[in-house]
Amino acid sequence: MISRTSRDFIRRIAARICSTAAILIAFAIFAPASPAQTATPTSAKSSAPAHKRAAADAAPGAPVKTIGNRNAPITMEVFSDYQCPSCGSFYENTLRAMIQDYVASGKVYLIHHDFPLQMHTYSGQAARWANAAAMIGQFQDVDAVLFDNQAKWPVDGDIEKYVAGAVSPANLKRIEAILKGCTAPPPTSKADRSLPQPEVGCPVDTYIVQDIVLGYQIPVQATPTFIIHYKGQSYPASSGIITWPILKQFFDTLLSQ
Amino acid sequence: MTPNETRGNFARTLLLLGRLALAGIFLFAAYAKLKPQAAMPWSGSSIKTSLSLFAMQVDSYQLLPPQLVSPAAHFLPPFELFLGLWLLSGVLLRYASLITTLLLGAFFAVMVRTYMAGLEINCGCFGPGERLGPLTLLRDGSLLALALAVTIGAFIHGRKSRTESAPVTHASTPQRTD
Repeated sequence: MISRTSRDFIRRIAARICSTAAILIAFAIFAPASPAQTATPTSAKSSAPAHKRAAADAAPGAPVKTIGNRNAPITMEVFSDYQCPSCGSFYENTLRAMIQDYVASGKVYLIHHDFPLQMHTYSGQAARWANAAAMIGQFQDVDAVLFDNQAKWPVDGDIEKYVAGAVSPANLKRIEAILKGCTAPPPTSKADRSLPQPEVGCPVDTYIVQDIVLGYQIPVQATPTFIIHYKGQSYPASSGIITWPILKQFFDTLLSQ
Repeated sequence: MTPNETRGNFARTLLLLGRLALAGIFLFAAYAKLKPQAAMPWSGSSIKTSLSLFAMQVDSYQLLPPQLVSPAAHFLPPFELFLGLWLLSGVLLRYASLITTLLLGAFFAVMVRTYMAGLEINCGCFGPGERLGPLTLLRDGSLLALALAVTIGAFIHGRKSRTESAPVTHASTPQRTD
């Protein structure tokens, strides 16, 4: 026999479960079937990655700051600063493994965007070297050497010494020739989001400013920030250091869809 | 209605509102983490993708080793959903609110530690895209205070209920001795 107290208790529980279920059903009915897109402009305005939208506007000789096969199913755009410690750590511990594995096997297409921060003395200059190298097809080597020696070249700002170790003497001369007119301070992102001015005689500054403006639109609030695109859809921007096993797991989840 | 009864009703109403607010917040937090991203329809695959995305946010806190990140990321949103439903039902409220307080306390401690360490990452509290900063700390601190208040209220209310429903002993009633 169930006592009266127990029956009351069971009745109260049943009533609460029923009311909870009613609220949930109402939530399921009235909640939007397809959630709103994220605030990133790449997803809100267009599902195409930024590089594909800008491809038509790219001038001949524009720096190619990409690694991998353009037709890879996954595209990853990274906004980075060569002097930021988190960016260095992200490159060494995550991107390097990703380049050797998923970029090499054609699963991921990596796009680098410069987002030099104002607080870093030499990051804008490093971005100039990387862009000049990208104009002659040497981006990957220079990108790697800048991150590999991140603790060294900011000491005195002598970036050329390290770039010279990554490219042939002939290519170094070509890079130097591109940077010949770059004498003014390089463009950097501003805390107040104001537009940096490219130096007129410096051919790479325009591309750095383009990246910074794109970063403002995302908006990039910290470096590194990355956006992943798959099957024409963009996933929300992520910031900070993500380890390769976790990033790989996300890629595998996308590829198994 | 006596002043004591009025105060009691007011306290019960506050407790109910606090409980429902916490339940709503936890249900929304779980929904924000589980909802499909990038215009995908609701499906097992979309939830799996959302949980993998959440795992990246958990990983960015640099607190757990990689082998624990994924289990934690797959456990937290369903647990938040469960806690939200539990708070909504009001069943065994003392325990539900206590667990909620402990969970929010842990979240808050991790967030403060991360902020103090200077890591500029996404909070991950209500889905992707929200930067961890002073405002998120203030919000989560307020939620912790609310959870603590509900827990204290639930324990006081529970004790009063037990006292009121306890059988009255008539000490003065003469006992039969035969």
